[in-house]
Amino acid sequence: MSEITALIVDDSSVMRKIVERALRQAGISLEEVIEAASGLEALKLLGHRRVDLILSDINMPNMDGLEFIRQLRAQRLAPDVPVVMITTESSEEHVRDAIAAGAQGYIRKPFTPDQVKDRILPLFGGA
Amino acid sequence: MHGIRTLQNRRDRLAQVYSAEIDSFTRSLDAAVEEVFRLMTGASCLPVDQCPIEEREMISAVIGLAGAMSGICVLCSGEKVALHMAEILTGTATPKLNETVKDAIGEICNMIAGAWKGRSPSLSSDCMLSTPTIISGTNYQIHNHRPEFRIERFYCFEGNSFTFTILSESMD
Repeated sequence: MSEITALIVDDSSVMRKIVERALRQAGISLEEVIEAASGLEALKLLGHRRVDLILSDINMPNMDGLEFIRQLRAQRLAPDVPVVMITTESSEEHVRDAIAAGAQGYIRKPFTPDQVKDRILPLFGGA
Repeated sequence: MHGIRTLQNRRDRLAQVYSAEIDSFTRSLDAAVEEVFRLMTGASCLPVDQCPIEEREMISAVIGLAGAMSGICVLCSGEKVALHMAEILTGTATPKLNETVKDAIGEICNMIAGAWKGRSPSLSSDCMLSTPTIISGTNYQIHNHRPEFRIERFYCFEGNSFTFTILSESMD
């Protein structure tokens, strides 16, 4: 797997750092990590930045993660970029909603680096 | 007379069911706290009988519950305990209560609340969580009007203790 640029969307700066750390611990090669504190901020960033992977929380003020993915897909921003939700909401209904909105993966908080690896690597053709 | 006995029996059965549900919520909370600390910090965190409050400066993270259950989840600790909690979560020591510590405490409360409700089929998809609110200061108390039930548990990790409280105002 070659180096990737990841966008981490979470209103918690602590959680953004923890997700970045988990990606590195999972052995995912990161060229760059870009952070956004809300769905709105992420949409603005994606208007002029190329990324290879988007990891987004669901419960965020202003624009939640599900609406962020819907807008992302509707505006055809980063159309081929996989989106993985990282959230405390773990019911089957939430997972279905996220997949229906356009997410390719779902990681429940709390998580381990191994769980991050298991969800992310297959998106890039890894085991 | 028979009608009164039947009504009393029904009330007793309802009380037993209700008590069993609260016991189940309590066990789920213990499991959620243990899981969050083990997976996110590598620390063991277990229930204890008492939580000695040795600090004047307190910090609480409050998460609102809405939908199938209305109420709040509150994680409350002394400032030094909060600093230690933030340190083991982020991997960076912080000398004083700042935005990073408040953010970390809010996230721990959020993950515990999410892991707790995720263990209950009646709450998992039908109970929403708010984003965390942080309160800090001395000698404050959190009140609500008519708690339907209150679960207050004390936990200890690496010699530090905190309380986690679930206050339910109503439940479907």
